[in-house]
Amino acid sequence: MKRTRKSVFFIVALLILALGYTTIFGVYGYYGDRRDTYFKGASDIRLGIDIKGGVDVTFGPKGDVKNVTELQMNGVKDVIAQRLVGNNITDYEIYADMSNHQVIVRFPWKSGESNFDPNKAIEELGKTAQLEFRIGSETDENGKPKGELVLTGDEVDSATAQYQQDDNGNVEPVVVLKLKNEGKKAFDEATKKQYDAKGTISIWLDDKMISNPTVNAHITDGVATISGGFADYKEAASLANLINSGALPFAIEVKSNGVIDPVLGEKSLEVMVTAGIIAFCLVSIFMILYYRLPGFVAVIALVGQVAGSLAAVSGFFSFVPSFTLTLPGMAGIILSIGMGVDANVITSERIKEEIRVGRTIDSAIEKGSSNSFWAIFDGNITVMIVAIVLMGVFGPPSGLWATILKPILRWFPASTTGAIYSFGYTLFVGIIFNFLMGVTASRLMLKSIARFKFLRKPWLYGGERA
Amino acid sequence: MSLFKGNFDYIGKRKIFFAISIAIMVIGLLVNIILGVELDISFKGGTLIKYSFTGDLDREKVESFLEGKTGKTVSVQITESAADKSKVLNIYLAESISMNEQEEFLEALTSEYKDNKVQQINVNSLSPTMGKLFFLKCLVAIALSSIFLVIYVAFRFRRIGGWSAGVMALVALLHDILVAYFAFVIFRIPLNDNFVAVVLTILGFSLNDTIVIYDRIRENQRLLGKEKSIGEIVNISTNQSFTRSFNTSFCAFLSIGTVAVLALIYNLDSITSFALPMMVGIISGCYSSVFICGPLWVLWKEYKAKKDAAKDDKSKGSKKKAKA
Repeated sequence: MKRTRKSVFFIVALLILALGYTTIFGVYGYYGDRRDTYFKGASDIRLGIDIKGGVDVTFGPKGDVKNVTELQMNGVKDVIAQRLVGNNITDYEIYADMSNHQVIVRFPWKSGESNFDPNKAIEELGKTAQLEFRIGSETDENGKPKGELVLTGDEVDSATAQYQQDDNGNVEPVVVLKLKNEGKKAFDEATKKQYDAKGTISIWLDDKMISNPTVNAHITDGVATISGGFADYKEAASLANLINSGALPFAIEVKSNGVIDPVLGEKSLEVMVTAGIIAFCLVSIFMILYYRLPGFVAVIALVGQVAGSLAAVSGFFSFVPSFTLTLPGMAGIILSIGMGVDANVITSERIKEEIRVGRTIDSAIEKGSSNSFWAIFDGNITVMIVAIVLMGVFGPPSGLWATILKPILRWFPASTTGAIYSFGYTLFVGIIFNFLMGVTASRLMLKSIARFKFLRKPWLYGGERA
Repeated sequence: MSLFKGNFDYIGKRKIFFAISIAIMVIGLLVNIILGVELDISFKGGTLIKYSFTGDLDREKVESFLEGKTGKTVSVQITESAADKSKVLNIYLAESISMNEQEEFLEALTSEYKDNKVQQINVNSLSPTMGKLFFLKCLVAIALSSIFLVIYVAFRFRRIGGWSAGVMALVALLHDILVAYFAFVIFRIPLNDNFVAVVLTILGFSLNDTIVIYDRIRENQRLLGKEKSIGEIVNISTNQSFTRSFNTSFCAFLSIGTVAVLALIYNLDSITSFALPMMVGIISGCYSSVFICGPLWVLWKEYKAKKDAAKDDKSKGSKKKAKA
């Protein structure tokens, strides 16, 4: 049998402690005033609005509107996103639920702003977008458009992004604009005038210019193509969405809204962090008292598991995007402290049994580990199934798990709050790290630490005291 | 004979355990019928606005003032945090209200109760149709997870009669769903999305427990299957796993219990309504796996064995007749 070296214990333990330290404190470099983040710490974790305070709104078509297209919902989504950015709110989350015609928006309280009026902010976001086509791009002293009005959103049928070949045979993204019959005549006249003058027709949304194309043709049939100047297809699609949002055949209304005060959330954060620390200490004390040496190993593994969960939330590993942590999400991490010791409990119990029937320490560890593997595996899979369903049901409709479960859940609206989604996620990563730490790392550490002579007493593994 | 000594007779005492579970179900059901259960706004729609305030406010006066002012039916509740004595005014409406109306509420309150520093801290408003659909979605999610879990158990334990093991696990799961539900009813917590999170977590957790015991049964059947009866094997296996089931549940209970206690002290209802039922669910999950699942499975196996034996007798009997 290949023996595990004595040094392995220290290597694994040090790695875990290093991971624990860096996930909590992060690794930053300083160049004068500039701070570079090499590894994100706990303070970089994006907290949910139930902690930070903020707004949670669902928008949808007003009244009972049928035949809402995906194009129109994307329009709603993009105009809301544009208004958020216009209000200097950049850390928002926005999802469009296509099957239920909803747009869900979540954004935190603006930091440092004490008289932020969330009700007004929501009202502003849900306003019907004002789309205007104007001659030229001049503005008055207030930045409002001054050019002659050609069309408004009511006369626009749709805008779509497409690929088209230009005169040189290159394929480029364009926006194809279709007007309703009511708009054709005005557009005809305006394009004739601007074509002759080599001028532009500008497009305005909520008094902000979103495009200012030069008129290259006299358009009589109400179908125009806006080309050139798009860096990629996405840019063209974004313009198309904005135009569509100003041409919606329905008004938008607030279907649900939640506003959470930041003061309340701050208190909750403190309480949850305290709860986490206390829970960790209680479980650690129990494990060491009850299982002795394997219990001690389990506590180190538990440090690794919690660090891993934090890392998966903060975006510590560059390949795992950061995740919004909510109060239930924190409860999930705390719960997985308690549930996470299960792997160590099962293994330690097995080792104890083997020691008590008279096996040597090495063979007891070997046998205890191999006998318990499948029980731990099966047990973890069940919690994982549950975590996946939770993420699918409560996550954003475009998320991975929601997409997989879509055939079954498509008739139901998306969750209006993100709180439980975060719980599903922390439960999920808790299990993954539980497997890595509670099984692999624990075994390596236990086998290696058992090589030290002074630790080779059956009592330390749960045997009777000699 | 004791639980921790490893020689407890689970099968022999099964009637007691079944009786305990049935008693809990009956009590829960009675409380449910008498007190009813409330759905939270996220499931039934409506509006809940929370305001912080200082000094004293009279619940009924606020209620009649607001009803007179806005012409809507409101119900008012006042809660207080045990830790810092901060007070919260909760206002419920059965309908969802617009942003303008929310503003009106705040203005009415701040102008009427100038000395109480009324401040809006939390709004939650949802249209009833959306709430209902979302509630349905959650029920579907619970059913879906149960199905996935039973299929998984049946697949993994096909050697010891997978489907019977799966179905017995399902009975234990239903047991846990009901207990978690009754926990919400008895603690008077309105059902919300926390309910789904609790139920699903308990399902996963309880099944994890059940699987460890099944795993032992599978192993012991291989080792002792020829010399021991099915009841004895389940007894031995459950005894061997008991300390583990207990300790793991104890640790999970410690963790979530810490959260529940702190949340109660600081009046964080969104966490209390999650942690408190979860504590109950963890106990139920452990109980159902240890005391219900195994014994029930033995009952089923014995019943089947008897039926098979009866069939054998019959076929033997008919053969005899044929000979005569």
